[in-house]
Amino acid sequence: MAVDKNMRILVVDDAQTMRRIIVNLLRQLGFTNIIEADDGTSAWERMQSEHVDFVVSDWNMPKMTGFDFLKLLRSSEKYKATPFIMVTAEGKRENVIAAVQAGVSNYIVKPFNAATLKEKLVKVVGDF
Amino acid sequence: MVSTKLMERIAALEAAQHGDMVPAAQVWDLVAAVKGMFGQDDSVGTHTKGSAQLYQELGELAKFINQAKKELTEVATGDVALSHLPQATNQLDAIVAMTEQATSQIMDECDGLTMFHNDLREKLLSMDPPLDPDALAGIDDALTNAQTSITKVYEACNFQDITSQRIQKVVKALHEIERQVLRMVVVFGLQEREGDLDADTKAMLQEDAALLNGPALAGQGLEQDDIDAILSKLL
Repeated sequence: MAVDKNMRILVVDDAQTMRRIIVNLLRQLGFTNIIEADDGTSAWERMQSEHVDFVVSDWNMPKMTGFDFLKLLRSSEKYKATPFIMVTAEGKRENVIAAVQAGVSNYIVKPFNAATLKEKLVKVVGDF
Repeated sequence: MVSTKLMERIAALEAAQHGDMVPAAQVWDLVAAVKGMFGQDDSVGTHTKGSAQLYQELGELAKFINQAKKELTEVATGDVALSHLPQATNQLDAIVAMTEQATSQIMDECDGLTMFHNDLREKLLSMDPPLDPDALAGIDDALTNAQTSITKVYEACNFQDITSQRIQKVVKALHEIERQVLRMVVVFGLQEREGDLDADTKAMLQEDAALLNGPALAGQGLEQDDIDAILSKLL
């Protein structure tokens, strides 16, 4: 299955630096249709007005964590199957298990590089 | 069997107790009485090595409490809790802000270099007459390598987010130390300092300790390989 490099990817992280890193690495991988949000609440609001094909989200964020955001998405009809990669500095086994149970597509621990990001994307959406 | 003398001292302590506080000097007296009791009582004269160690530790505890009381008086006088710790947290906050600013600048320069490379590539490709294909391929390889390096610089900027979270963890720990020191200052009868505390600080004294969250240190938490192993079983 060919990956649509024009799919809309939403990057969610409260740290602007990390958002910028992820966006840049995604661009390096050829994805250009990228939008951003700084926490789960604003991400969810944005997803009501714009369709999103893929989500890359931090776990620890104010207002609404990435984990709560994931559960919210999975409870909605529109986004229950949208690919969702969790990116976090918390390398805790119970977090990984909880995220999988909540329906995460894959999980990346910080710090990470472009190769890791690509590997995870490939696992979720196929080779590109 | 507990001696009458010891019972009298405990009763006196209970009578003199003020709230949850027992003056350190009285604790010291009690420990001395316990020691004395066991020294005179033949039935426990054959006490075990473990109980002897307990008496020793009780004595050390009493010394520690007395010393802590003296030091806390100095802490209160020296404004460590009210001034130095908040200053330390402010300095750490400033470090986070500075690294964020510097990282942003580094990434700005990376973006500038990327744009420069793209412009250069386009100009070289559109030159008239065209460049020698081999030369053009060599330049293209060099620009690609340069772009790879720029990507690695971006990747390295991960440090800012990681260190920021770790520093925030330390800041929270300092806040907790500050809170506990202030509480101990009050507990040890230094209520005269209470007038110096603002409403926020007083409220902070009553707050539960904030949960300390942050990235795991190297060797703690799971690495990407560990996470992948878990995912391979779950997904």
